[in-house]
Amino acid sequence: MKTKSRLRLRLRLRVGLTFGLVLLLFLLPPPLSLSLDLNLSSAADAPQAASLADRVIEHKLANGLTVLMVERHQTPVVSINLTFGVGGINEQVSRTGIAHLYEHMAFKGTRTVGTRDYEKERELLDELHRVGTELELKQREMTAAAQAGNSNTPAETTLEALQQRFKELQERAGHYVVGNEMALLYQRHGGVGLNAATGKDLTRYMISLPANRLPLWAALEADRMAHPVLREFYKERGVVMEERRLRTEDSPNGMLFETFTAAAFQAHPYGVPTIGWASDIQALTPTATEEFFKTYYGPGNATIAIVGDINPKEVLALIENTFGNIPASPPAPPVLTVEPLQRGERRVEVEFDAEPSLAIGYHKPGIGHPDDYVFDVIDAVLTDGVTSRLYSRLVRDKRLAASVTSDTNYPGVRAPNLFVVMATPRAPHTTAEVEAAILEELERLKTEPVSAKELEKVLNNLDADLVRSLRSNAGLASQLALYQTVAGEWRYVLKARDRIAAVTPADIQRVATQYLIKSNRTVGILVKKGNDKNKKMTALPSGEVTQ
Amino acid sequence: MRLVRGEGVGVRGQIPAIAVMLLAIVGGQATVGSAGDLTLDDPRRMKFSPVEFNPPEPERVVLDNGLVVYLLEDHELPLITVNAMLKTGSWLDPADKVGLAALAGSVMRTGGSMRMSADQVDEELEQLAASLSISIGRESGSASLDVLKKDLKRGIQIFADLLRAPAFDPARVELAKLQAIESIRRRQDNPGSIVGREFVKLLYGSDHPTARESTVASIQRLTRDDLIAFHQHTVQPNGMILGVTGDFEKGAMLTTLREVFGDWQKGEVPDLKIPDVPEGEASLSTVRFVSKETTQTHLRVGHLTIKENDPDYVALAIANDILGGSSFRSRLFNDVRTKRGLAYSVGSAVRTGTHDQGIWLMRAETKLASTQEVINRFVANVERLRTEPVTDEELDEAKEAYVNSFVFSFTSPSAIVNRLMELEYDGLPKDFLQQLRDKVVKLTKEELLAAAKKHLHPDRLKILAVGPGEALPRLLSGFGEVKEIRLTPEG
Repeated sequence: MKTKSRLRLRLRLRVGLTFGLVLLLFLLPPPLSLSLDLNLSSAADAPQAASLADRVIEHKLANGLTVLMVERHQTPVVSINLTFGVGGINEQVSRTGIAHLYEHMAFKGTRTVGTRDYEKERELLDELHRVGTELELKQREMTAAAQAGNSNTPAETTLEALQQRFKELQERAGHYVVGNEMALLYQRHGGVGLNAATGKDLTRYMISLPANRLPLWAALEADRMAHPVLREFYKERGVVMEERRLRTEDSPNGMLFETFTAAAFQAHPYGVPTIGWASDIQALTPTATEEFFKTYYGPGNATIAIVGDINPKEVLALIENTFGNIPASPPAPPVLTVEPLQRGERRVEVEFDAEPSLAIGYHKPGIGHPDDYVFDVIDAVLTDGVTSRLYSRLVRDKRLAASVTSDTNYPGVRAPNLFVVMATPRAPHTTAEVEAAILEELERLKTEPVSAKELEKVLNNLDADLVRSLRSNAGLASQLALYQTVAGEWRYVLKARDRIAAVTPADIQRVATQYLIKSNRTVGILVKKGNDKNKKMTALPSGEVTQ
Repeated sequence: MRLVRGEGVGVRGQIPAIAVMLLAIVGGQATVGSAGDLTLDDPRRMKFSPVEFNPPEPERVVLDNGLVVYLLEDHELPLITVNAMLKTGSWLDPADKVGLAALAGSVMRTGGSMRMSADQVDEELEQLAASLSISIGRESGSASLDVLKKDLKRGIQIFADLLRAPAFDPARVELAKLQAIESIRRRQDNPGSIVGREFVKLLYGSDHPTARESTVASIQRLTRDDLIAFHQHTVQPNGMILGVTGDFEKGAMLTTLREVFGDWQKGEVPDLKIPDVPEGEASLSTVRFVSKETTQTHLRVGHLTIKENDPDYVALAIANDILGGSSFRSRLFNDVRTKRGLAYSVGSAVRTGTHDQGIWLMRAETKLASTQEVINRFVANVERLRTEPVTDEELDEAKEAYVNSFVFSFTSPSAIVNRLMELEYDGLPKDFLQQLRDKVVKLTKEELLAAAKKHLHPDRLKILAVGPGEALPRLLSGFGEVKEIRLTPEG
C-alpha cells in the first residue's frame, strides 16, 4: 500500500491526467501539489522559502504576453513552461479534440524549421488540404448513401481519383518534410522533458535545457507562436486516434470517466472528453485547426514561466527581441455556456472487461468561489493519506475497498466543476456496498464537525507540500504558469493558502449540506462484462477514412 | 539502467518512451547578452559553449556495524530526505511463497514498531506531514523518509524503528494480504499491464525470479511468522546503504544516525545471485498472443540481452537510442508514428541491470488492422540497424544529446546521492556515469554496427500481442507458429 501523501488542494490536475488531460508524448510526472511561499510555523527555519514569493519577477510585454521568472543558481539548467489559456473548454460541437490535435500539430515545425523548402511545400500543402477535405466529404456522403441502401452511387470514380490525388500529394509534400526537427534541435542541445499537455482549461509546452541554450528555446518557441505549419496533418490525426484507443477505449478507467463526465455535464464543454469523440477527431480539417490556432494562440493568451540559472534582465531582453515582435491579437472569445442546475441523480454504467469500480461526483463552484476552498479541505479530510476518513474506514477498517481517492477540481479548474470520489471495491464486496459506505461518510460531514486535529493535519500537509514544490525548477515553473493562467495571477496560491487555513468546521458542515446531496449527484459504475452475453453489443469500429 | 534514463514514462512501469540520455556535463555561462538580433538567428545553426559544472561531492561514512552512509548538505529548503537501499528482494522468495518479500516490505511500513502501534505511526507521520515509505522489490529493498527539518528527530526514530524492529501487527498483515489478493484479481484489467508482465515471463520463463508472480494461493499461504523471519534474515545494517540530503550539518547528522542505528548488530547478508536463462530457451523464436477484448493490439517484440557491465553495453545502448530509445529522434518513432501514423506510443528499450540478464524490446500499441505492418516495420528497422551503419548525423545527434543533457543527472542533491548508492549496491565504480560518457564520445559507427549485429537477433524474436483473440492468430501467422497464452481468472 502506498501512502497517498500529497495534499491535492486546488489545481491539482492529477485526475485530469488520467482521464481528461491529454499529453503529447506520454503522461507527465504527477504535478507538484502547490507552490510558492510558505511560512512554515517555524519561519526562522526557512528564510529562503519564505522569501521565494519575493523572488518571482513578473513582466508583461506590450503584446500582452506574461513572463514570470525565478532565479535558482544551484545547477546551470533552466526549465520553461509556456502555457496558453486554451483547452477543451473552447471547442465547438462537432470539433471536439481540436485543442489537443493542434497541440500535436505544434510539433510539426514552422516556415523555417521542419522543412527543406517552405515555398514549394506550401503549395502542395494547400492543395493536399483541399483535396483531403473534399475526399472526406465524399467519403461521408458515400457512407451515408450506403447506409440508406443506395449502393451504386455515381461518385465512385470521383472518389478513386481523389484518393489517388490525395496519396500523390501527401507523398510529394512528404519529400519536403524534415521530420520532428524541432524536437531534434532541442534534444541535440541537451533538452530533456520535452512534452506538451492539453487539458480542459489550458495547453502547456514544457522543456528543460542547459541554461545557456535559452536563445534556442526563444527562437523555436517564438517562431511556432507566430508561424506554425500544419504539415503531416492526416498522419498525425491517425496518431491521435491511436492515442484515443490507448487512453480511452482500451482503458477501464478511461471509459468509465468519459461516460461519467458526459453524464454529469449536459451543456458545458467540461462534459466532453479532451481528446475528442472518435468521429469528431476523424472529421477535423486543417482549415478548422488553423482557425483554432489563430483564435486562441495569441501572445495575450500566453504565460511563460522560467525557473533556473538565469539572469532575468538578459532573459527579458531575449524575450522582447523574439516574442516581442509577435503582434497582439484580439482577446479569445469567452465560453458562454453555463451548466444548468442538476435536478436529480444521474446514474450511468459502463460494461467492460475489467473488475468493477465507481465514481461519484457532485457539481460545485470553480476557482475563486469561497466554497471552493472548503472543498479543498473536505477533499483532504476524506482521502489524503492512510489516516484520512475514507481510507481508514473503507480500506483499513471495513475492508470494503481496495482503493479510494478524490478530486476537487474535476475535470477542470476555471469553470464550475465536480468534486469526485473514486473507489474500487474489494471482492466479494460490491460497488453498491462501497457507494453506501462513501455516502455514509459524506453524511457525517453534515452532522459532525470536523475535529481541530484533522484541520491542523490538513494545514501542516499543505504547508509542507508548498515547501516541497520548490525543489524542482520544472515543478515551480509549472505552478507559476498554471495559477497565472487559471486564476489570472500566480499570487493566487499564496492567497489560497490563507483562505484554506481560515476554513472552519461550520463551513464544512454548511458546504456539505448544500452540495453533497442526491439531486446534485452523478454516479458512474464500471461493470464487469459477462463473457458471452454482451459480446454482440460492442460498437462497430468506426472506420478511419483517410489513411 | 543508468545510461538511458527515462524522462517521460509510458504507460505505467513500461518502457520509458522518451529515453532521454543524461550525461555529464560541462559548460559555460550563458551568452544571452548578445540577444540583440535573435529574431534573425536560425535555430538550426545556433552554437553554444559546453556547460561547465562541478557537482558537489557527497561524503561516504561507514558505521561500525557496516552501515554505509552518504551525506550531502543542501540548505536551500528546510527539508531532509533519508533514502535507504537494502540487500533483500523477492529473488529470495521460496517457490511456494512468491510474494513474501513484497508483503514483508509493505507490512514493515504499515504494521507498527516495537515502540509504537501501527495507528500511532500513521497518525504521527501524517500529522507531521512527513512521508515514509518502505518496499521490497525484485533485487533490492528501499525505504525513504522525507521530513521538515524541525521534525527530523521524530521522523528518523520512527524510520529506524520500522526498519530494525517492525511489529507486523496481525491486523495489518491480514489487510496487506487481502489487498495483495485483490490486486492479483485486477491484473487482467488493463491490456498494458498484461502485455508487460507476460512478455517478461515469455523471456525468462514464468518460474524465473525476475518473472514469477504471486498467486492467490501463494499469498494465502503466507503467515505473520513468515514475514518476521524474512525480515530477521534479510534486513541487516551491513546490507544497507543510507543516503541523507538536505538541511542538516554533517557532524550532527552522523551523531543522530549513530543514536538510532549504531547499536544494531551486524548479521549475515544474503547473496544477490540470479540465474541466467539457459541459452537454448532464450534463443528460440516464439509468437504468442493473449486474447482480450480491445481496439488495439498491444505489442512487445524482443529478446534477452546483455548486462549493464558488459563491454558492449554503451554501443548497444546508443544503437538502441537511434533505433527507438530517443522518442522524436529515433527511427521507430519517425517511421511508425510520424510517417505512418500507426501508433501513439512506439519505441524500443534496453533495460539492463547488473544482476540478471537485460531485456531488449520494441513496443507499440496499434489498431488491429495495422498489427502486421507495425511488426514488419520493427523487423525491417532491426535488420537495417544490423546491416548498414547509422549515418554520421544520427551518431552525432545521439552523442550531442547525451553529452549536452549530462548536467541533468546532477540537478538535485538527492539525485546525486541516489546514484552513488545504486552504483555501490550494484558493484559499479562511482564514476561509472562519467566513464559511460567518455565511451559514448568515442563511439564509432562501426562499433554500433558490430554491437547491433552481435546483440540484436531478428531470428530469435519473442513476439507477444494482446488483443482480439479471434483475429490475432491470422495476423501473426506470418511471423512463426502462433500459440495462445490463456490467462486464468483468479480469485
